[in-house]
Amino acid sequence: MKCKSCREPAMVDLPSHNAAFCGPCFLRYFSGQVRAAVKAQAMFGPGERILAALSGGKDSLALANELLEQDCRVSGLFVDLAIPGSSDRARAAVEDFCRARGLDLVVVDLAAEGLAIPEVKRRVRRPVCSVCGKIKRHFFNRAAARGGFEVLATGHNLDDEAARLLANTLRWDGAYLSDQGPLLPAEDGFVRKAKPLYRLTEYETACYCFLKGIEVHDAPCPYSRGATFTSYKRLLDDLEHNSPGSKFAFYDGFLNRGRPAFEAQQAGLGQGLSPCPECGSPTSGDICGVCRIRRLLRGED
Amino acid sequence: MIRVRLEPDGKILEFPRLNTVLQLLNRLGLRFNQVLVIRGPELLTRDRRLYAGDELTVRRVTSAG
Ligand code: SF4
Ligand SMILES: [Zn+2]
Ligand SMILES: [Zn+2]
Repeated sequence: MKCKSCREPAMVDLPSHNAAFCGPCFLRYFSGQVRAAVKAQAMFGPGERILAALSGGKDSLALANELLEQDCRVSGLFVDLAIPGSSDRARAAVEDFCRARGLDLVVVDLAAEGLAIPEVKRRVRRPVCSVCGKIKRHFFNRAAARGGFEVLATGHNLDDEAARLLANTLRWDGAYLSDQGPLLPAEDGFVRKAKPLYRLTEYETACYCFLKGIEVHDAPCPYSRGATFTSYKRLLDDLEHNSPGSKFAFYDGFLNRGRPAFEAQQAGLGQGLSPCPECGSPTSGDICGVCRIRRLLRGED
Repeated sequence: MIRVRLEPDGKILEFPRLNTVLQLLNRLGLRFNQVLVIRGPELLTRDRRLYAGDELTVRRVTSAG
């Protein structure tokens, strides 16, 4: 296979784009996809401050690296979940990455917040991953709001987004379908959220990290029961294999033609939000879900 | 002999005869976009030839958790 742009031997094969690229041409293509995403969704403008949530995995580090190289005003955020044998290694990968690039890093320590995930797992009866996800999103938003960032960026890629869309569609979950997407505008105490990698697959972010020499933390979390949405990803991969480009067409078609209908249907159905009396985060209930878990762990409920 | 290191598991496999990356992927039951096939500083596409003495890394791209 030869590079579509320069005819050198190709390193990355992209049937979905009817192309293969050598290393340098692939990296140019990758940057172009991120720029196209930022522009198409008006994610952020020059000078706006971006907080990038970093897990230590390939997607979030690829995101931060690319935003830095595009001269965005980006800082990193790491939420230390305090999971033995996992969080310390992820944290080291993130700290090394940021140090090597002079990237500012904000760290939230869940143990210090009284919310160490192993403790949460012991005390809360729901599956730990749903609670952990909720806690992470809470602190992403809080760190961005407190730090005065205009936008919170996450490393979700096309595979993540298309799999989530398929899951929401199979349940015809109107509420989720009305606001799933690569951009969530700021609202009621929530900062704007953006997913600049939504046009790129996880194969592409993995190639990017390899070619950029980025050391990623790829050991799975000990509480993980396998990657999220695994079966949906597999279904979409089969589809993509037989009909290259269909994964992006499914997701992009939803954004352009599906979501507006769900937005119209859900308009006015959202619950009003008010600040949590304990932490100030927006909530539809009395105290927010995370403060409720914190109370439970303190033995007050 | 071609030596293949699987990541993230760290398992090492040896194959006496393989001509191309595609043959290797078929033997492993993998699609080309599920893994990176790495030889030294290079990523190998499906059509690339393999040679006796090659040391390859096959790295899964799916993030777990
Ligand atoms: S696998 Fe579950 S517990 Fe582990 S980090 Fe992910 S969401 Fe949290
Ligand atoms: Zn090229
Ligand atoms: Zn609260």
